[in-house]
Amino acid sequence: MSDGEIVVSHLAKQYRAVRAVDDLSFAVEPGRVTGFLGPNGAGKTTTLRMLLNLVTPSAGTATIGGQRYADLTDPLRRVGAVLEASSAHRARTGRNHLRAIGAAAGFPARRADQVLELVGLTPAARRKFKGYSMGMRQRLGIAAAMLGDPGVLILDEPANGLDPEGIRWMRDLLKRLADEGRTVLVSSHLLSEMQLLADDVLIIAKGKLVTHGSVSDVVDGRAHAGPVRVRTPQAEQLTAALGSAATVTTGEDGALLVSGVDAPAVGAAALRAGVELHELVAEKPDLERVFLDLTAGKADIR
Amino acid sequence: MTVTAPVDPLASPDLGRPGPAPIRLIRSEFLKLRTTNGWWLFLLGALLMLVLAILFNWLQADFAFSEGIPQDIPEDDADTFEASRSPIFQAANLYTSGQFFGLMFVMLVGIVIVTSEFQHQTATTTFLTTPHRTAVILAKLCVAALFGATLWLVSLAINVPATIGILSIYDQSSLLGEWPAQRAILLNLLAYALWGVLGVGLGVLIRSQIAATVTATVLYLIGTTAVTILVTLLQDWLGWEWIDEVQYAVPSVASTLMVSGTSLPGQPPYWVGAVILVGWAVVTGTIGTMITRRRDVS
Repeated sequence: MSDGEIVVSHLAKQYRAVRAVDDLSFAVEPGRVTGFLGPNGAGKTTTLRMLLNLVTPSAGTATIGGQRYADLTDPLRRVGAVLEASSAHRARTGRNHLRAIGAAAGFPARRADQVLELVGLTPAARRKFKGYSMGMRQRLGIAAAMLGDPGVLILDEPANGLDPEGIRWMRDLLKRLADEGRTVLVSSHLLSEMQLLADDVLIIAKGKLVTHGSVSDVVDGRAHAGPVRVRTPQAEQLTAALGSAATVTTGEDGALLVSGVDAPAVGAAALRAGVELHELVAEKPDLERVFLDLTAGKADIR
Repeated sequence: MTVTAPVDPLASPDLGRPGPAPIRLIRSEFLKLRTTNGWWLFLLGALLMLVLAILFNWLQADFAFSEGIPQDIPEDDADTFEASRSPIFQAANLYTSGQFFGLMFVMLVGIVIVTSEFQHQTATTTFLTTPHRTAVILAKLCVAALFGATLWLVSLAINVPATIGILSIYDQSSLLGEWPAQRAILLNLLAYALWGVLGVGLGVLIRSQIAATVTATVLYLIGTTAVTILVTLLQDWLGWEWIDEVQYAVPSVASTLMVSGTSLPGQPPYWVGAVILVGWAVVTGTIGTMITRRRDVS
């Protein structure tokens, strides 16, 4: 078993009437960014908190490198986690916040300055936390997670409140950390961002695993479902030329959506019938579409 | 001009060797306390009340050392009055000036040490850094007790010269060489430390910072007086002598008892106060630790 592998096995959490996490099993590999997705209330945060010994599971186990978080000797040197953006004392400076954590873990005081440099917060190091913007708070959270130079990073919604430049910075950092062989597990709502960032995705809904695999597998696995979008002034001729194998509907913007045949077949039929085409696109489903398909009807308030 | 190569902040850093866990945790908790402004506000409040307490105790001493016993008081009270006239009683009282409010501020610091973790959602980070929650609570107990000890030391530094000065006005020696006075001073240290422990325990029980501090302050200020009044009333109505002893179960009353220089008539010996206060600290500290171990942090 790899040092940085996260293994969740038959994990469950029962809150009074709600089964927040239900017999959930998966493994997260090092060297890759894994996106952890699910609708609101799917159990993402509860799963991460059980993994980190903050919430006691009702059943099952969660281990990091084969050990429960509670059994790690130097947890911060193994695992860095960012769970809440606002988790620092309002009246404490960013630097002192990091020093207090570092002191408990036995790191030298200069380490706080190093991680502040890493996340670009050095100019605000001696400013109080209450004066930090949302993006600065996220950066401070990442700085805290990086204190122990851990091989495993777990981040809950780290992109919340970041501006486009901040999001790009975070994406580059996480990709780089994964390239160095670290395990990076990131939960997020921003599906387009996940498509850019993640190597693997892990989708849960209602506390259960929906799908787990590389982004391309998960998206392409459903590619056949995508329709072909065609724009033509001769819609009727084209529909006739396509024959009975194709189903043609007219989209809101006047484009035709053809399903049942692929884009080359549509092009060939148009050529044979002498139909003029202005646009011919095979609509590839993106992560967002796949996610919405997979979790349809499971995003209810529980 | 020299150009330094940019340092890669990700290049495996030198994290040093971690020291012993208890030392690390206490340092961290101390740093947390020191890097917020709560503690010096409490210290300031305690010092202000200390000055008032010295003046009040001086008045008491003045009354006690003045000539004669008032004629019109009952015999029981006359005994108490006579006992309180002993120089050692007054000396112990003066050397432990400021205890009542000092203990309250120590308790409040203990409460804040715990509740601020929930108020500012830093409990998550704290327990991620140290998954052994018992160790975290023990470190907090230590820091709260250390704050108490510091406040005791500060008040002692003011009380000793003030008391020697006041006693000399009434031609009394300092009595610092006398064991009852030394004992009162030392047990006062124990009281200051234990109230930090009580505060931490309370903070775990009531996680809301506002609710915990307000409840504790009201209980401390009004509760102490209310119990004393209630006991006196019940004793008068029912004539039960033993009911008088009940009030010593209240932590603040027990604290006053344990630093008394001589026993007043009808009052339990000083060590009963110490035993009761240690009991309270052990109970709240243990319950607080057990709750913290089990509770989900979210």
